[in-house]
Amino acid sequence: MKHLFILAGTDFKLIFRDPSLRAFLFFPIMLFAIIIWFVPSLIEKYEILEDYIPLFIMVGAVENTQMFSFISSMVLIDEKETQVAQMYGIVPLSRIQFLLFRLLIPYSFTVLLNVILLLTQPFVHISFIYILLISILTALIVPAYVLGINSIVKNRMEGMIYIKAFNMLVLVPFAAFFVPENFKHVFGFLPTHWILQSIELVSIESPQNGNLLLFLLIGFVFFAGVIYWLARSFFKKHFS
Amino acid sequence: MIQVKDLKFQYPGSDSLTLKGLDFNIEQGEIFGFLGPSGAGKSTVQKILYKILSGYKGEVMVKNKALNKWGKDYFEQIGVGFELPNHYLKLTGKENLDLFASFYKLKSQRNLEQLFEQVDLLDALNKPVEAYSKGMKMRLNFIRAIQHDPDLIYLDEPTSGLDPVNAQKIKQLILELKAKGKTIFITTHSMHTADELCDRVAFIVDGEIRIIDSPQNLKTKYGKEAVNVKLKTGENQEFPLKELGCNTEFLQFIKQGEINRIHTMEATLDEVFINVTGKSLGV
Repeated sequence: MKHLFILAGTDFKLIFRDPSLRAFLFFPIMLFAIIIWFVPSLIEKYEILEDYIPLFIMVGAVENTQMFSFISSMVLIDEKETQVAQMYGIVPLSRIQFLLFRLLIPYSFTVLLNVILLLTQPFVHISFIYILLISILTALIVPAYVLGINSIVKNRMEGMIYIKAFNMLVLVPFAAFFVPENFKHVFGFLPTHWILQSIELVSIESPQNGNLLLFLLIGFVFFAGVIYWLARSFFKKHFS
Repeated sequence: MIQVKDLKFQYPGSDSLTLKGLDFNIEQGEIFGFLGPSGAGKSTVQKILYKILSGYKGEVMVKNKALNKWGKDYFEQIGVGFELPNHYLKLTGKENLDLFASFYKLKSQRNLEQLFEQVDLLDALNKPVEAYSKGMKMRLNFIRAIQHDPDLIYLDEPTSGLDPVNAQKIKQLILELKAKGKTIFITTHSMHTADELCDRVAFIVDGEIRIIDSPQNLKTKYGKEAVNVKLKTGENQEFPLKELGCNTEFLQFIKQGEINRIHTMEATLDEVFINVTGKSLGV
């Protein structure tokens, strides 16, 4: 536990001392302002947008994960580029511990941000248990994203390119919102699809609880598999 | 301390072996040097020994226990000085060392300020590492490797990037560690460093060890047992060391004019390396 706080403390020092990362800490504030104040005023002005309320909530929840996805990815890329990562390969800390200690705080913060966002969004009432489950599932984007990026890239420049690609990949399943009902799950090969489907269900007035739980379950299993696979690849590359 | 038998390693994607069956032992309290040109496999051996690389073939025993049987407690006992500086640039030198010291059970037994002072970095203790020169970062690498008082120290090119004064300081500290009974495994392509520090050296070329012996034995074995005398007149002559005091030719020669210099004809380690391996370290 001591290591968790030491590593988290180090990460925050690194973030605060790097202006390009520090700026990203304000991203959720902007996002909250858009979802809580700007979008409602927009809907008030253009009633047609009411049909898109689930979409606004989805965008809010997924974009909430992007702050730590970006920041943690960059911190680990820097660590690799400066070869500091090698040091973690030769200290008495297991690789699983390393990963847990590096990602638990960003993950937990993201869960918290989404809980707050889903509680404070002014559009629909969602029961707290669903808010919690959806927030826990959605925040899994952070470790998947960070591990994915860091399994591929070697330096900050490559990182910026792949981060853009990952951002698009995360958002691809939004297209399901615009396709006929029968084709909705065509995007099911991407784990974020199951997050978006869950959010869409809780955003409509009478969610089908059975389907919601099924979507959440698929989402958790899918993310667990993806994170496990990416972690193996990350372990092979990060420390050498 | 370390026994290696028939060590082979091939990097994924490579079509040939990087290490082609190495055999060597390192005794407790010894400074052992791996000498070879870039790409010879020196760093690969060290990476295997400090468990960054796996997938090797052969037997590697450390402290009478197979390397793959060691858990994370292995890292309590080793210290690694990497070839290139690797620190968090946005953190200060002290923050960098404090962070990595925190992972060890035995906490840093050595006083941090004392360590910084030993390598002339005390003034830079609280400066961000991005303000350090390469030499300063290398010295920080060195003290990070020894701050938790490990028994076994791996140093990859420990004097690379250092000016002669600081290189000498680091060499002196390495000798002090040896005096305390630490086992030190150095890889270098600096024959001078190896000659000054190592009890034994292994010449490694193309993933094979060509010879292992003490620098002194190698220099004697591959040199001439003779002295070369040069007079101020420019005259120059070699005489065998055997019964030199009774060699009338030698005695007459040194009486015949003012001597400019006399030196033994033992080979330098560089010459031995070229002689044994057929390659130069500049490769």
